[in-house]
Amino acid sequence: MGLLSIIRKIKRKEKEMRILMVGLDNSGKTTIVLKINGEDTSVISPTLGFNIKTLSYQKYTLNIWDVGGQRTIRSYWRNYFEQTDGLVWVVDSSDLRRLDDCKMELDNLLKEERLSGASLLIFANKQDIKGALTPEEIAKVLNLENMDKTRHWKIVGCSAYTGEGLLEGFDWLVQDIASRIYMLD
Amino acid sequence: MEEESPPPPSDLPSPNPNSPRDPALQKKHQAMLDRLTNRHQSRQKTTSTTTDSTSSFLSTFTDSKRSIESQLTNSPSTTDPTLLKSHLASISSSISSLEKLVAESSYSLPSYELRSSLKSIENLKQSLENLNSQLLPKKKFSFRNKSTNKSNHENSNSIQIPSNPENSNPIPTQIPLSIRDSPGIRNKENQNLTKNFKNFKEIGEFTLSDLDSCEVKLIGCVNALFVNKLRNCRVYTGPVIGSVLIEEVENCVFVLASHQIRIHYAKSCEFYLRVRSRPIIEDCEGAKFAPYCLRYEGIEEDLREAGLEEENENWGYVDDFKWLRAVKSPNWSVLEENERIESVEIEDSGSAEMEVESEGV
Ligand SMILES: Nc1nc2c(ncn2[C@@H]2O[C@H](COP(=O)(O)OP(=O)(O)OP(=O)(O)O)[C@@H](O)[C@H]2O)c(=O)[nH]1
Ligand SMILES: [Mg+2]
Repeated sequence: MGLLSIIRKIKRKEKEMRILMVGLDNSGKTTIVLKINGEDTSVISPTLGFNIKTLSYQKYTLNIWDVGGQRTIRSYWRNYFEQTDGLVWVVDSSDLRRLDDCKMELDNLLKEERLSGASLLIFANKQDIKGALTPEEIAKVLNLENMDKTRHWKIVGCSAYTGEGLLEGFDWLVQDIASRIYMLD
Repeated sequence: MEEESPPPPSDLPSPNPNSPRDPALQKKHQAMLDRLTNRHQSRQKTTSTTTDSTSSFLSTFTDSKRSIESQLTNSPSTTDPTLLKSHLASISSSISSLEKLVAESSYSLPSYELRSSLKSIENLKQSLENLNSQLLPKKKFSFRNKSTNKSNHENSNSIQIPSNPENSNPIPTQIPLSIRDSPGIRNKENQNLTKNFKNFKEIGEFTLSDLDSCEVKLIGCVNALFVNKLRNCRVYTGPVIGSVLIEEVENCVFVLASHQIRIHYAKSCEFYLRVRSRPIIEDCEGAKFAPYCLRYEGIEEDLREAGLEEENENWGYVDDFKWLRAVKSPNWSVLEENERIESVEIEDSGSAEMEVESEGV
């Protein structure tokens, strides 16, 4: 593929960032996107394909791609890798049983060459649920400390219900991307 | 932002998830949410007119798909790489726009239309890939080929329609995690199990796993319910305020109310549901659906608290992620009225059934 990255250099609109949200189904990706966009989160369907939200954040325009995490459509994820500046991996911190699934899918993703330059934000979501693992525990299970040293990453505990942590996470992500992309221009 | 101090060099990432809640940050957050809400409301008027009609989407989609296809077949007859590249780039950008159109309409598109559009885009991308390697053989134009991961690159180009779960490695890699277990009921056989959450101050998630031939009754609300590896069981639960995830169940009857319900690997099960959004099945067969039918003292109040007081008929509109065709999936059906169970009544405690002390609570 590569071809698209040429176009990106030519056509990238000033101050635009492309952010890919992935994670297992039920982790809360769509709820996070809607919450951060100030929309009603009371009725959300599991995502059949993908959603895109364009929103202004600080001086940047974020194109957030929220892709469904059901097993059947995980193989679609790779269609969205190209041009990704920021990767948001969402974890349901209360779903202990599927943490190994979660780790495996994340590991696969991080092997992707096309994502190798993307900043990685891990949201340990659903912190409002009693019994949810803390971000430190999630970091340990996902073995984040042993990640490729060139990767820019951060894990943030959050709740898409209360909104806690969302801003902290996106602030970091946007700053990190900005410092890589726009400060070099 | 250029003028703000850049983040520290992140070669040495220092995750700091424990930073105390900063009131200034909170305030900033609220301001952002308010601003975004306003933006959204003013925008809704315009977006609703652009996405309200599936047929207008489909005609736009079909038109641009045709034009891309004709671009794909009518390549300039030249060997000038600059011309070829610009031709390919123009196709690629058309595909991106088309993809964006689909993404923007995806909230309102019916599932079949959405999925067939996705498939068309896959095909277009594949054709472009082919054309690319045909016109500009052997050359890679990547600004990111510094990466060490060459081997994966080849794989990533082979686009597949996701119809085979086998390649997604269902065998979980065991992680040596000594993480505590969540509250739940596990490893039981032939038992009647009742759990009342009414007197719990803080409700959290609850797990039912590895049960055989049990009857399980959960009274009151929980935040999330995980159900795993159940056989020949009957499960009756009060409202779940978040979502229910059910995996690997066989010959069971479930009576559940929740905001979202996802069902994976279920065989010959009945689901009596009240759901805010459509129930999801994936890798299921013989799943039958009917409306929620549970009663216990105070259930009305619990349902109201969970925002599930209304019957919206969603139980009968199931989305099968494994089914890509316009005709209804054969993997699920509506349970005939005369085959449905009577409404289930849970007597208040004092009955002979045992109140389980579930682990981890
Ligand atoms: N308690 C709690 N529940 C949450 C939170 N975030 C999401 N949920 C619930 O989790 C369920 C799944 O949320 P979604 O946003 O649909 O998850 P998703 O990751 O988009 O799922 P897919 O589209 O299937 O990939 C919903 O029932 C949400 O209400 C949270 O922070 N706390
Ligand atoms: Mg979703």
